[in-house]
Amino acid sequence: MKRYSRLERRHFPAIYLFLLPTLILFALFYVIPIITVFFTSFTKWNGFNAPQFSFDTIFYNYKKLFSMSSFGKSLQNLGLWSLIAATLHVGIGALVAFILYQKPKGWKFVRGVYMIPNVISAAAWAMIYKFIFNNDFGLLNNAIRLMNPSFNVNWFYQSPAAFWAVTFTWLFYAVIVCMVVLADLMAIPKELHEAAEIDGASSVQRTFLIDLPLCRNSLGTSVIISVTSRIAMYEAIALTTRGGPGNDTANLALILVKAINDYNYGLANATAMLMFIFGIVVMLVINRVFRMNESVY
Amino acid sequence: MKNIVRILSLVLAAMMLCGMVGTVASAEGVVELTIPHYKAGENVGAVFFLPQVERFNKLYEGKYHITIEELTGDLYAEKMKQLGQQNALPALVEGGETEWIQNVVIPNGLYTDLSGFLADHPDVAALLDETALAYNTTEDNKVFSISLPVIRPMGMYYNGALLDLGDKTAADLSWDEFAEKLGDNKIAFMTGENAWTTALIFSSLIAVEEGGADLLRETYSTKIYDYNQPAILNAVTKLQALLQNYAASNTVGAVYADAANAFESNNAAVIANGSWMVSDFLPDGSVNWSNGFDGSTVRGDVLPGNVALANTAGYGWWVPANVSDAEKEAAMAFIAFMNTPEELETYMLTEGGVCQKLTVSEEYTAKAQENALMYEYVNAVNADTIICPAVCDCMPSSIANTEFGNLLPLLIDGTYTPEQFCQQLTTLAEETRLD
Repeated sequence: MKRYSRLERRHFPAIYLFLLPTLILFALFYVIPIITVFFTSFTKWNGFNAPQFSFDTIFYNYKKLFSMSSFGKSLQNLGLWSLIAATLHVGIGALVAFILYQKPKGWKFVRGVYMIPNVISAAAWAMIYKFIFNNDFGLLNNAIRLMNPSFNVNWFYQSPAAFWAVTFTWLFYAVIVCMVVLADLMAIPKELHEAAEIDGASSVQRTFLIDLPLCRNSLGTSVIISVTSRIAMYEAIALTTRGGPGNDTANLALILVKAINDYNYGLANATAMLMFIFGIVVMLVINRVFRMNESVY
Repeated sequence: MKNIVRILSLVLAAMMLCGMVGTVASAEGVVELTIPHYKAGENVGAVFFLPQVERFNKLYEGKYHITIEELTGDLYAEKMKQLGQQNALPALVEGGETEWIQNVVIPNGLYTDLSGFLADHPDVAALLDETALAYNTTEDNKVFSISLPVIRPMGMYYNGALLDLGDKTAADLSWDEFAEKLGDNKIAFMTGENAWTTALIFSSLIAVEEGGADLLRETYSTKIYDYNQPAILNAVTKLQALLQNYAASNTVGAVYADAANAFESNNAAVIANGSWMVSDFLPDGSVNWSNGFDGSTVRGDVLPGNVALANTAGYGWWVPANVSDAEKEAAMAFIAFMNTPEELETYMLTEGGVCQKLTVSEEYTAKAQENALMYEYVNAVNADTIICPAVCDCMPSSIANTEFGNLLPLLIDGTYTPEQFCQQLTTLAEETRLD
């Protein structure tokens, strides 16, 4: 254990004093709500009256959640969306970052344009896509009808199109991924590339053998961000399919909100705990897979 | 530095002075109520409600003043729940979700008992519907809320230029006969939002089934958890046929605006809705008309099978317990004001409806006939009309607001048979139970 000098110890009160506001805010807005959610997930609670706890029904909400028809479908959707996010979504963002890193002509303009979707809210995007995918007057179907006049798909309301329509609302907008990876690429010391060039490495070799391995941490971070976003995804579904048709696009966030609407806060908090656990597991697994605790240089 | 201190002092002094002025205004005795409500802005209910508030403010100038804070319709109930949780409800609340009122507001005494108000206002008490009063009276004989004594049975509108019922009205026709008359015409259904227009037609289909109307009347408070009952199953079978054969082309995914647009663009000849939609068909509403639609050809009627949807057993205006006595007094003054014969007549003229215990003035009768569509719509109800609540009022909240609409596309495309649709509704409704 590190021993602090007397001078260092003299600074402790000031350090803790500066940390105090952050710690208080963190406790108030994160720690206490998470603890509350954890304990009330084992109670029957309508959100207004006092939560009712009993050892006989301690897992009531979890049993109910696991038996819900939409739960299995939500897990299936989460799995598939996570896979798509971790591969295609992150892949698209990383690809754009690698292209921008080459600084082709007009790269700054492209980078600016690529950022624009990020300043549009998810709710607005959902509404835009609702129009794009509209069967009657939507851009997509009208374009397809130029080649196939009898084409008729209600993207957001038909199975299995709805799942893919919801996926398309976020799939291509990997702005955060692009930014994180690009920042990491920009930080790669030029000497490494120069040395590789002297050794006769081609640009493809430099990309795959130098840039990509050195971006390991940012790629891992991007996967964590993308997958946890899928766990918490709400607006893109609630404003388009609302989980339908049937349970086709159900997810845990929708189950949570539905439970709140039905005054079943215990069930809502059990769902929230599950989402929280999934988030932690994703972080730990990705951390391990991408060896994010190890230095890349 | 001194200058900065001086300026700050002046600003502070000015702010304090402003604060004192506010206090003086309060001390003068004007009780200010700020009421969040959805009948504001573009909401159709604002046409009557906002001028009514202004009339109240004018009548009680110097004593009470109400300011309406705009909320969108679908946020109102949710906002009230949140304010209730914070013990910060406004001085006047109109209704609310049944589950919330029955499980939270009444058991926790978040309301003011209005029995004293009724004793002090026998004129208001005399107009109240017995069923409504009984519904609003708690087990310990407290009165929770005052419902307006006007019932507004909901029926439908049809485009007379597209659909000719001959010498018949919808009251004379069964749904099968009505569908035959429709020919190639379409009905403005919805599956988006809470599938409102579809739910109204579904309600009428249930109501004409044996025991269906009673089922709707009896389950308003307790909610329907079993959708496999014959009345509902038969109604779903008929609804599926209507959706597959007579639905407007934009039905799947249609929100209310889409359904209204289908009707007001001659793409649908029928839309089920309440009397508040009349204003859409008057010349002032012509901004939304297209494709040659003419509001003057619209006819108002009950739903086929002679069904009108209304719920007398509902919650009306109530005064939360958390507000001050002065605010309660102002709130009750507004409730009394809303129930004066003049206001009720103005309300019926603007929004339609019938007040069974009110002897209306001759002036009202004459004016009512000026709005021919409203008059026709309101008077389509006859002694034989089946009046019952809409099915969405009898469903658990998430079923009515989301799941019913989510399942409809699967009923339309045949993925679900009526039996599967009903079973799925039953499963989902059971999941909402808090045992």
